[in-house]
Amino acid sequence: MKNKKQIKFGFPGREWQSQTIKLFKAANYEVKLEETLYHLEINDPEIQCVLARTEEIASSVEEGILDAGITQKIHLLNQKVKVVEVAELNYGNDVWWNTKLVLAIPKNSKIKSVKDLKGKKVLARVLEIAKDYFKKHGVKAEIEWSDRPTEPKCPAFCDAIVEFTNTGNALRAHNLKILDFLMETSPVLIANKKTWQNKWKKEKIENLAMLLKGARLGLEYSGLMLHASNEMMEDVLKVLPSLKKPTVTHLRGENWFDVLTVANKKEIRKIIPKLKKIGCTDIIEFSLNKVVI
Amino acid sequence: MVDKKIKLGIPKGSLQDYTIKIFKMAGFDIEVPERGYFLKIDDPEIDCFLLRPQEIPKYIEKGKLDLGISGDDWILETKAKVIEVCDLKYAKQEIKRVKWVLAVPEDSKIKSVKDLKGKTISTEAINLVKDYLRKNKVKAKVEFSWGTTEVKPPRFADAIVDITETGASLRAHNLKVIGTILVSSTKLITNKFAWQDEWKKEKINHLAILLQGAVRGEEVVNLMMHVPEEKLKRILKVLPRLKSPTIKKLTGINWYDVESSCKEKETRVLIPKLKKMGCKGIIEYPLIKLVP
Repeated sequence: MKNKKQIKFGFPGREWQSQTIKLFKAANYEVKLEETLYHLEINDPEIQCVLARTEEIASSVEEGILDAGITQKIHLLNQKVKVVEVAELNYGNDVWWNTKLVLAIPKNSKIKSVKDLKGKKVLARVLEIAKDYFKKHGVKAEIEWSDRPTEPKCPAFCDAIVEFTNTGNALRAHNLKILDFLMETSPVLIANKKTWQNKWKKEKIENLAMLLKGARLGLEYSGLMLHASNEMMEDVLKVLPSLKKPTVTHLRGENWFDVLTVANKKEIRKIIPKLKKIGCTDIIEFSLNKVVI
Repeated sequence: MVDKKIKLGIPKGSLQDYTIKIFKMAGFDIEVPERGYFLKIDDPEIDCFLLRPQEIPKYIEKGKLDLGISGDDWILETKAKVIEVCDLKYAKQEIKRVKWVLAVPEDSKIKSVKDLKGKTISTEAINLVKDYLRKNKVKAKVEFSWGTTEVKPPRFADAIVDITETGASLRAHNLKVIGTILVSSTKLITNKFAWQDEWKKEKINHLAILLQGAVRGEEVVNLMMHVPEEKLKRILKVLPRLKSPTIKKLTGINWYDVESSCKEKETRVLIPKLKKMGCKGIIEYPLIKLVP
């Protein structure tokens, strides 16, 4: 075979597809999706992408049908899959935060706690996790697996659902409310254990993970540049976050320094006014593509 | 008095978003109204028109427009006599590069362009195909297609010449590619009338510098990292020579801050390599313009 050096990579379809595409683009990959043909391609001939559901990616990577892929942490637990977990990537469906698994019931339901679900019917997206949860609470309920979406099926087909939520919009749209929070799940880049023995493949996957994680951080962080005098430096360094060692260089011929660092965008809201108060000048914030600490 | 205004044609369709983006990076805001084709640009010396890229080359040739952006596929197809100011090739796009290909049904007996003798070819770019056939000394019938060309074979045509990006749509219609006719690029074009007008020529040249800077800025990113003194020499050897790196000693320690530019795609290989070699705190950030 001509191109042996290639990894088969499970790319999440459906719920986490659009955000995964955004992350690959942020990592400088060109992504071409032909939605109706279920075909996805990236501009790296060494990575062959296969669009699949995250549940399938977890089991296919374990079996070695795929070398690596992005699945959900929760599926590894639910399906008791044994793979190498390379990196957690922290995003949800169309949002940059993790998805939550919740137990939800109709707004006007008489059910007040999980105990009231005894003998009731529950539809769950991840069956084993849901069963464990009910077992932990000592509640015997009729729990059945259901495909997405479960929201419109409650209360018509069931009394409660165990479903993923990102913004809560779908739950609200179907007049449902959250009764309990089960767990949070993050997309995780996984690799097959045998694949991990292959030096070339391991390095290829590790590098991809580094770039995706770097891009993920780049979305959350900004660069910050400022001028501070010698007397201010001690206070400035206290205010700056410690993720990256700040770059401090002496300005030519003066008692002033140029300081450059990166910080979480949310922290920067608080940092900039503080720096201004200390007396820093020429504060510049700039956007980043990637941060690799 | 000569009107000190440039009439600029912006291509509607697949090139539109990219064109407006590079103008924005070049420092010009173009506003596209939801209806109508009179674009607003924040430069009183430019009038903007949104037109099909097929039409822009001819309007430039006739002097209706002074300047425009179009693909060289349509410049060749319309045989318009225009002056190419510069290439604005979107080098970042590898997969989505616009290619005009010759395709036939999977089970067709046509194996190469030579087998097209006497056959019917359906296409939106008649002249491109005729020139291609002439070059290959093949006589065939070329029929104009109004669109959805890929559904025409085998009933309405034996072969087609069409634009493809990944080839997925061709495969979905059971077609296979047997030749590439043209890989199209985006061009900034003008005409001889504008080129003879000193004021217009200078305005166009300045615009070209900014637009090319923006195109380069699009494919290039800046890298910044901390390097320990003993590894500085080796790291500098690894960095691409796009521009000479800026090296600053960090205050109080034996580390250096190294800043350099590289092609966006190179970061895939370069960042893992630099990290392995011992660089710390690597950050990558975008550029807006790069004017060497």
